Amino acid sequence: MADVELRNITKSFDKDIGLEKVSLKINDGEFVVLLGPTGAGKTTTLRLIAGLEKPDSGEIWIDGRNVVNDSPAQRDVAMVFQQYSLYPHLTVRENLEFPLKSPILKTPVDVMKRKVNDVAEVLRISHKLDNKATELSGGEMQRVSMGRALVRNPRIYLMDEPLSSLDAKLRSELRIELKRIQAELGATILYVTHDQIEAMTMATQIGVLNNGRLEQFGPPREIYENPSSQYVATRLGSPRINTLPVSIFGGAPAGSALIGLRPEHIHIGSGQDCQVTRIEHLGDQIRLHLRLAGHNIITLTDTHTSIKVGDVIAIQPNNPIFFDANGSRVV
Amino acid sequence: MPKSAIERAAEVTPPAVARRIKGLSDRAIAWIFVTPTIVILLAINIFPLIWTIWLSFTNFRVNRPNNAVEFIGLRNYERILTDPDTWMTMQATAHFLFWTIFFQVLIGFALAYLINKKFKGNDMWTTIIVLPMMLSPAVVGNFWTFLYQPQIGFFNYVVSFFTGVDPTSFSMIGDVSLAPWSIVIVDTWMWTPFVMLICLAGLRSIPDNIYEAAECDRASKWRQFWTITIPMVLPFLMLAILFRGIENFKMFDLVVQLTGGGPGSTTELTSINLKREAFEKWRTGFASAYAVILFVTVFGLASIYVKALNRVKAR
Ligand SMILES: Nc1ncnc2c1ncn2[C@@H]1O[C@H](COP(=O)(O)OP(=O)(O)OP(=O)(O)O)[C@@H](O)[C@H]1O
Ligand SMILES: [Mg+2]
Repeated sequence: MADVELRNITKSFDKDIGLEKVSLKINDGEFVVLLGPTGAGKTTTLRLIAGLEKPDSGEIWIDGRNVVNDSPAQRDVAMVFQQYSLYPHLTVRENLEFPLKSPILKTPVDVMKRKVNDVAEVLRISHKLDNKATELSGGEMQRVSMGRALVRNPRIYLMDEPLSSLDAKLRSELRIELKRIQAELGATILYVTHDQIEAMTMATQIGVLNNGRLEQFGPPREIYENPSSQYVATRLGSPRINTLPVSIFGGAPAGSALIGLRPEHIHIGSGQDCQVTRIEHLGDQIRLHLRLAGHNIITLTDTHTSIKVGDVIAIQPNNPIFFDANGSRVV
Repeated sequence: MPKSAIERAAEVTPPAVARRIKGLSDRAIAWIFVTPTIVILLAINIFPLIWTIWLSFTNFRVNRPNNAVEFIGLRNYERILTDPDTWMTMQATAHFLFWTIFFQVLIGFALAYLINKKFKGNDMWTTIIVLPMMLSPAVVGNFWTFLYQPQIGFFNYVVSFFTGVDPTSFSMIGDVSLAPWSIVIVDTWMWTPFVMLICLAGLRSIPDNIYEAAECDRASKWRQFWTITIPMVLPFLMLAILFRGIENFKMFDLVVQLTGGGPGSTTELTSINLKREAFEKWRTGFASAYAVILFVTVFGLASIYVKALNRVKAR
């Protein structure tokens, strides 16, 4: 396992910008999650680190060495592809053995067998080991793809939405397994996901990408509580942060144009009157849809509430976040 | 919801026809579609086949239609299988088959592998390489006789340019030991592009991302070639071999035009031999037996081969 660092990486495709001046440092043993909307450049980042793509400019350092001109094999990274990329003519077992059979590793047969069986068990695919890779469901293929990375002990694992095709139960099980494996091996992982819960529960650091730029990089709580921009603020939190013009409540710092209100920033009981337009019971929480001066607000309330649709309640900001007209944070 | 093809077909069917069809079961409609094909197949494939098998047990000659046709049992088969000439032609055919397939697969695959690399103008190269395949075999046979000409032939000139031997000192078509190779060379020249196209289809069917996965799994280019490229192209290669094998077992026009089976009978392939028996010596019964033997041979070999092919594909 090793440190990985990107320095000022720029990569453009024919007309699209893939990445623009991205710098980030992944320390040994860290679990870094990349967040971002589709097309933000997450896969591109992983491919650049793997060596499947060459940056236009910038440096990639792995273990204290600039590896920009190294081949993927020299970099010794394991990648879980977004589109699985299994070897279709091989069985699941052969797929899992493939990286271990690399002459660089010279894995003894019994070690190889044990590793493959262990990984298959963790990923719940032991009963499919003799299937051909094409005779699997999407979720099974995805787990084989992950297994093919996990049998190795690379310098960094690059995982591109590795749990996206699984059902909720299996996903939460594997999330825990993955965290356990990471702790056991002290593995360094760079992980792409669209799933907030995955990001918040597994990450030691989160990087938020938007349009090829790294908007913010930091621990999950920091990203959540202290977002550097309106954009970052919208990536985490459910329900999403509400943004309203500052004029509604007043008392905003100079230069701010928007006020950002997460549910915990909204105090119910005093302040501006607004109407309850909808109530959603989600089991463990209740969502209130409010209408205030022509703006919609979604917030949470405790499950024993007596508020009904049509009620008028008063709300007030409590330690909110402010942004300027461009969406940058104002402190 | 968009309409299905069946619904659209139903809409454009004239009402009178539609009314008549409605009374029929699916099975009856299926038969209506299939019957013409079956009739034609019976008339031009199955009937002649059975007729040939019958003739192979007789001494019938087409040029003596008035002679009594005698049933002579397996005598024709016996004569063919004990005739050393038959074995000579079989040997010539085997030589031709083996080496044409060998070279065509080797060169065809290599060309496909090169063309498949992404470089500028590879489409143009594909077109150029494929040209020989589009010519008529008679034309190809004819102009290669010129290329093989010892005095003025380009082939002899090229060989002499690279090896220094006197171009007039050898004749590809005239020499007993060279003639079998002369037909191998021409057939390879003409049909390698075909094998290349099939291999190219195979290579193009392998998605790039598998190679990327292999790169990440630290497989060398050499290992990628043997563990990914070859296994995934193999079914295509085997198909190409099957096509070329069947085609070349029946090879006639090109070789007749080029060497006429000579010198002696060194390039007399089975189909040429068969044509001699049937339409020069007019031994119809004998030739029929010969045809049956060839048919059984090709059919047997092809069946075994197709089984193997299916096994490879199922892997
Ligand atoms: N090979 C390529 N050729 C051209 N453009 C590309 C290529 N690969 C990526 N891009 C472009 O780069 C941008 C970033 O793509 P990338 O695959 O990194 O997105 P992503 O963040 O992984 O999205 P998703 O969440 O949908 O997987 C996109 O605009 C995409 O169109
Ligand atoms: Mg992606």
